[in-house]
Amino acid sequence: MIGQLDAVRSLTPGVGGTAVRNVTSTAAIFATHFPRFPVLPGVLVIDDLTRLAALVLAGDGPAERWVPAAVARVRFRHYVRPGDVVELTVQARNDDPSRFQGSAVVDGTTVTTVGDLTMTRTTAPPGGQG
Amino acid sequence: MLFQLTDRIVDYQPGRSIRARKLTSRAEPYWRESADDGPVMPPPLVLETLCQAGAWLVMLDTDVARRAALLSVSDTRFSGPVRPGDVLTVDATVESSSAERAVMSGVVRVDERTVLEASDVMCALVDTADLDDPAVTRRQLEALSGDLP
Repeated sequence: MIGQLDAVRSLTPGVGGTAVRNVTSTAAIFATHFPRFPVLPGVLVIDDLTRLAALVLAGDGPAERWVPAAVARVRFRHYVRPGDVVELTVQARNDDPSRFQGSAVVDGTTVTTVGDLTMTRTTAPPGGQG
Repeated sequence: MLFQLTDRIVDYQPGRSIRARKLTSRAEPYWRESADDGPVMPPPLVLETLCQAGAWLVMLDTDVARRAALLSVSDTRFSGPVRPGDVLTVDATVESSSAERAVMSGVVRVDERTVLEASDVMCALVDTADLDDPAVTRRQLEALSGDLP
């Protein structure tokens, strides 16, 4: 449930990408979040967008190299409920390809926007296989 | 997994602040392989530990009548990895609040090392009973806050 994009629809290295997450009623997380009102935790939408941004930045390299350093101007506009197909989009800034705008859309309605997602490249330790 | 990212409430100043603790264990299911040295906790889950501490603060302040639902986050910095076995100390502070909204800021640390800082986390205050049986929520809160004076 955490950090699992179901399909990457498009990917342009250094520019942007789109992906989909299907929010199924079987997800164990809904037992506690919340019993009377199951809703996808908003931070998991942020996590999906960071995973997609990492794929855009990685190109042919390992996406694990790229992690979020900062996230700013996040707005949760609508709840994401079981049964929703979430369409995720990230777009790199022209002036800094490690910074992204992101959004999540369900049935044409924007549910979450991220104004500024900054990714950073982790460095492999000396002697590592990175 | 259970989405309960608070293990203990260790301090509480009514209307002002809360300090919570989240233990991490290799047995948990969320670890993500990193390119350098081993698994890390996905940074958005570290942000969630702060949001949940803030939610408990609202519940303590309202005698479990209300809890917090995330509306917006103006700025969050992820400043270092969380590794299996780390113990997170989560400090949430109320910046402003009304009957419908609360704005908080916070810091998450591992020992003396800051791993997350967030400012202007805005939450809607919603009826606890809309989300879960208030009796269950109250028992959870009693279990978490048993060490408080």
